[in-house]
Parts: sequence; C-alpha cells; structure tokens
Amino acid sequence: MAVVCELCPRECVIPEGEAGDCRVRVNIGGRLRASTYGRPSAMHIDPMEKKPLYHFHPGSSVFSIATAGCNLHCLNCQNWQLSQRGGEEMEQIYRADPPQLIELARENGCESIAYTYSDPIVFYEYVQDSSELARQAGLHNVFITAGYINKKPLRQLCQVLDASNTDLKAFDDRFYREVNGGTLKPVLDALVTFREQGVWLEVTNLVIPTLNDDLSMIRRMAKWIRDELGEDTPLHFSRFHPQYRMRNLPPTPGETLDRARKEAMDAGLRFVYVGNVLGHEGNSTYCPQDGTLLIGRVGFRITENNLTPDGRCPSCDRPIPGVWQ
Amino acid sequence: MMKRDRYKRMNPGRRRFLTVLMGMLTFLPGLGVAARPHEPRRLSLHEADFYHPHDLKG
Ligand SMILES: [Zn+2]
Repeated sequence: MAVVCELCPRECVIPEGEAGDCRVRVNIGGRLRASTYGRPSAMHIDPMEKKPLYHFHPGSSVFSIATAGCNLHCLNCQNWQLSQRGGEEMEQIYRADPPQLIELARENGCESIAYTYSDPIVFYEYVQDSSELARQAGLHNVFITAGYINKKPLRQLCQVLDASNTDLKAFDDRFYREVNGGTLKPVLDALVTFREQGVWLEVTNLVIPTLNDDLSMIRRMAKWIRDELGEDTPLHFSRFHPQYRMRNLPPTPGETLDRARKEAMDAGLRFVYVGNVLGHEGNSTYCPQDGTLLIGRVGFRITENNLTPDGRCPSCDRPIPGVWQ
Repeated sequence: MMKRDRYKRMNPGRRRFLTVLMGMLTFLPGLGVAARPHEPRRLSLHEADFYHPHDLKG
C-alpha cells in the first residue's frame, strides 16, 4: 500500500519500499517510517550566535544535531553532504535516542538543543520527542529551518519549541522553484505560525549576487516582515559563498549587504544584521531609540553585553525584544 | 621427554585418532554457527506521524 506523507507541502505519494523526496521518510509495508529517528549524522557544540540567534540566550552553548535528508534541494546548499543524501549514504551515523541526546547536551554544558544543519523538518518525530524531554529537563529547543512544512505539524511542534531561525531565501516564488526546489507561500505561512505560536523568531536571508539582491524585492520582503511578523523581528542578511552546484557566482560584495541592511532598516525593521562578514558593524545589536551599543559581536564571539539584567537599553531604558535569560 | 617426542613415538593408529578428534573439536562449533537460521538483522524504525494510506490505481 502506498502512503501520502502530509508533513511538508510536497505531500509525496510514496509507493511501498520507497522514500519520499527527502530520502529519509520511507514506506515499509504500508507504514511510513522516519528512518533517521535517533540516528543523527552530525553532532556539534556551537555558540547560539552561529545559528544565528542574536536575541536568544546570547553567548550560550547549543548542542546541535542533524540527520541525513532534506525536503529542499538548494543549488547552493552549504551542507549538501548531509542534506542531499539518505541515511544509507552517510559515512557517520550515531545512535542517540531522545534520552541519550538530552544526557549528551547536559554533559556538555549546553542550555539548549538545536535541530539544524540539514532541515529538521524531515526528522520531525525525533525533534518532537527530544524537545518534550528536553523541556522537562529544563533545556531550550531551537529549530533552524527553511520553514517548508505544513501548518498542522508545525503548530503541533511549536508547543515544544522555544526559538527558530527560519530562512527566507527570497521574496519570490520563482526563485524558490528554480534555486531551492520549493515554493514561497508555505514558508511565509510557517513564519506567521512561529510568530502566532509564541516561538521566538529570527529570519535569515542569504543574499546571492544577481539572483535575489534586487533592492526593491528586499524592500518588499522587509515590509512584509514588518507587517506580518513585527518590526522587532531580527533579520539577518547573510553572505553567499560559491559552493555545491552554484560555483558560477562570486561571493556577495560587502556593499550589497550594506545596501540590503539599509533598505530593511528604512522599511522599518529595528534589528537588521549582516552575517558572515567578520567585524562588520551589522554584527552587533544597537538600541533603536538612541543607538547605544547593546551587544558587541565579532564573528560568533560576544565582545560586550551592555543590556540590563531585564533586557533593557542601559541609557534610555527601552525594552529590547528577545529571550535574554 | 618433550611432549612433541611423545606424540611422534605414538603408534600411527593412535596418532591418526587424535588428529581426527582435534579436527572435529575445532570444526563442530563452527557447524553450529552455520546451522543457525540466517535472518537479516532487523533495525527498528520509528513510525512517522502525518501520513495516510493511498491507493495507487490507474
Ligand atoms: Zn536606548
């Protein structure tokens, strides 16, 4: 018996013995199996800033895991060795059921677990069960995703998530179809769902020269974020590096990122960052009211944190949105 | 007298008997392993949420 997977907008019809488009959700005897449950292929301890999450427990360590598989197929994937393979193609598969994962996170002094690197949507059940246990153990759950997921499963998962950084790859459906093998609408819906469900949300936009660096599109994207997610939503512009199947384009010029940042701030967003550029002023957090440097960053390192203990600007007392402790 | 010399000086019938006995003692346990039913190792796979059966027709 074939099955229809309802997890993501692809809604793959999967014949017996085969896998969905993600390669890791497999129909065995008419039952859909999450084949990478408890079997991560990547485990690292990262700083929260690397996710990137700038307004969520700054400076803390995150136990970060991923399994094989992904439901998008970006031509410029950074982690294609992980995401564009099924479990059977991985050199490395660890065994870590949810209780062991929580134990590992604690042993390594991490306050949070991040489901990341590939797209954790495809190991949904593993995220769900681990997150429930993690929460009971006092750990936070961080979901780093491209947001290509159906509403019902996402709403359910939001009950146990604390924060997400979601990629908004472009404000253009054609871009999604041509570069990522997806569509825009479900991603916008996912962003709204995170916001509605009270999950702390930051958005990342990777700026690729000639493909999605058009300033009028960036302006429209920023306005949409302002109107639908709120002006306090942090937006990270990230620098593209040629890799995987997109080696024909140069790295994003610094001026492009500067212009994108200015455009988004002019559109009314209060916290706009530039990532992947060492020492850029856009790495740091400033008070939107008086420009005071609140959190200084160089790379993933925090150089100073001037926020008051309750998350306010030390000069003007403006509350700064985020989950600070 | 060395063990090896004693073995060499045994009569050929007894020597042959001991050789066959040692051979069987090392071979038989192997037969036991081979005789075990040859089942593939089963990995338990977690059942997914959010799917429904679908009749492929036409
Ligand atoms: Zn201030």
